[in-house]
Amino acid sequence: MLGNLNIRVISEYLPDLWEGFLNTLMLSAAGFTGAFIIGIIACGLSIQPVRWLRGVGVAYIDLIRSTPLLAQLYFLYFGLPRLGVLLPEFTIGIIALALNSGAYIAEIIRSGILSIPRGQFEAALSSGFTYVQRMRLIVLPQAIRPTISPLIGQAIVLVKDSSLLSLISVVELTRVGQKIALDRFMPVEGLVATAVGFLVIYYLLKALAASWSHFNRTNSQ
Amino acid sequence: MIEFQGLNKWFGSALHVLRDIDLHVSKGEVVVVCGPSGSGKSTLIRCVNGLEPFQSGRLVVDGVDLGSKSPPLRKLRMEVGFVFQQFNLYPHKTALENVTLAPIHVRGLPKAEAEARGREILAKVGLADRMQNYPGQLSGGQQQRVAIARSLCMQPRVMLFDEPTSALDPEMINEVLDVMVSLAKEGMTMIVVTHEMGFARKVADRVVFMDRGAIIESGKPENFFKNPQNERTRDFLSKILHH
Repeated sequence: MLGNLNIRVISEYLPDLWEGFLNTLMLSAAGFTGAFIIGIIACGLSIQPVRWLRGVGVAYIDLIRSTPLLAQLYFLYFGLPRLGVLLPEFTIGIIALALNSGAYIAEIIRSGILSIPRGQFEAALSSGFTYVQRMRLIVLPQAIRPTISPLIGQAIVLVKDSSLLSLISVVELTRVGQKIALDRFMPVEGLVATAVGFLVIYYLLKALAASWSHFNRTNSQ
Repeated sequence: MIEFQGLNKWFGSALHVLRDIDLHVSKGEVVVVCGPSGSGKSTLIRCVNGLEPFQSGRLVVDGVDLGSKSPPLRKLRMEVGFVFQQFNLYPHKTALENVTLAPIHVRGLPKAEAEARGREILAKVGLADRMQNYPGQLSGGQQQRVAIARSLCMQPRVMLFDEPTSALDPEMINEVLDVMVSLAKEGMTMIVVTHEMGFARKVADRVVFMDRGAIIESGKPENFFKNPQNERTRDFLSKILHH
């Protein structure tokens, strides 16, 4: 099947593929940045002692984790205009990715915080640190290390999830692949070109994870 | 300095961990608390800096009534140092950073001043050459001395020790006890939960024996060891003193 792959057609679409590749990168980077910020806030809320704040955090996490990304995407795409909010598809896509991954990142960070021994909280408490100081100086710096690998895993998931944005006509890798398939009736060529683009991003992230774990090994006390 | 009056504490509704505790510790006094495991010793001193709430009775520490509606716990904890059995040093900070973190962020001391004080205190506990080491690079005894220095750097008025040598290898116990002895001799107010009866004999003004959440007996070390009044105290002492 791949033996008679029509490389010439793929090469004709290289400019489109490059645009798709860059857009996928941009969507993913913006989506992940947003997700990380949302994740920290949602995690902070979900471990709050104040009940209604905790309720808000937990409700957000549950809502996102219990529904499919596609449904969330359509909800924003069709729902926001009805509220009078008109945004470009690209922006809606980033919001959907950020909101979706944010819930998973909140859980990853929460598990990092829960991995810290109780004694650390007690030591900080008995020294008179405030809640914010305890988090900033003692808990979070220790919680970050065990969360890096799962966070990179979540980034890989987010990159692949961005392919769903083709359904709201955002021009990213998958959308270009579909274009090749429809213009030339060559679905395999389109899919292979798309897959290569995702593979490249995957290996970039994997290299990042490897260099982190190397750093982690050489710098662990 | 520390005044317990009829203090009671339950875990949940069934477990009565502290029963009618009456205990008065004056300024400069060193009180050793001993007793079998599960007798409430740790819970007792954890109440003193508000790590554990209690349900009835009174507890006043350095003028702060811990039974009041919202006691100024942060302010109290600046004045009450706590040393844990498991050290609980911050693993991502060096020895010097461990010691200076609270003075800088809680007391608001300038960094240079905090570091000068930190160096001085670390040198005092015999760790002048270990300031830049992380806790993971230190032995248990060294870690516990850093932990004591961390509390001292806040210049507390009271020091609480929760079995500070129980997690240590035997050869490291003395280096920690020596620091505590010199602290006691300088006049620090201390409550020490420990089974190191040599330490109690040497510096304690009073030894308190607890069993099943109640204070069974208390007295000066010479009387307490020579002439224990209560059967359970005698039983306990015979178990820990004669191997």
